[in-house]
Amino acid sequence: MKITMRMIIIIACLLLIPFTAVATAAIKQRFADGPNRVFSGGPLVSGEIYSGPEPDWSFVNTIPTIEMQLLDPPRSRVIWSVEHEGKLYVWSGYMGTTVGRLWKRWPVQAERNGKAILRINDTRYERELVRIQSGDELDGITAAITNKYPSQTTRTAVETGGVWLFEAAPGL
Amino acid sequence: MKYFYWVIAVVLVVTILAVLFLPGVDDFVEQTFQRYLGRAAR
Repeated sequence: MKITMRMIIIIACLLLIPFTAVATAAIKQRFADGPNRVFSGGPLVSGEIYSGPEPDWSFVNTIPTIEMQLLDPPRSRVIWSVEHEGKLYVWSGYMGTTVGRLWKRWPVQAERNGKAILRINDTRYERELVRIQSGDELDGITAAITNKYPSQTTRTAVETGGVWLFEAAPGL
Repeated sequence: MKYFYWVIAVVLVVTILAVLFLPGVDDFVEQTFQRYLGRAAR
């Protein structure tokens, strides 16, 4: 019994090492100007704020990822994006799984308050995230997504809530 | 066992300092975490 207890303590102590590393890296990223990979970053500070007419978003189709910060809470993350018929879209997968819902909290926060800043090529764009759950445009948007990324995003996935899709509309 | 606890404590402190101050360590940790997280979320 004593040996079993000791083994549990040893394993717990050893597991504490990677846990500490992950927690430290996550906390460190919170103080950075933007995200890195999966950990949320701090507010997007650097980069000029774009002002002018609505941009031609087609250029994002050649960019793998963009940075997005919600105003509330003011945290940023790296996300995928796609342009379709002149509009910019961002989305979150894994929303149908428990781990995914714990991991991806920004979609729920964005649905509550969609005000966001996108940083693309060192330029910041002030936008309003508007969730899209239905409509015929989903066919074109999901096709654009699967053309750009190795993704299996479908119209059904969006409609059933497995994928939360947002239009990054002009805003703020 | 007491010696083991001391070693763990030192390793934890070294881990924190390495992640905070050694270039590339935080990115390595995040990359590794991302790999496991992606698998778990599927």
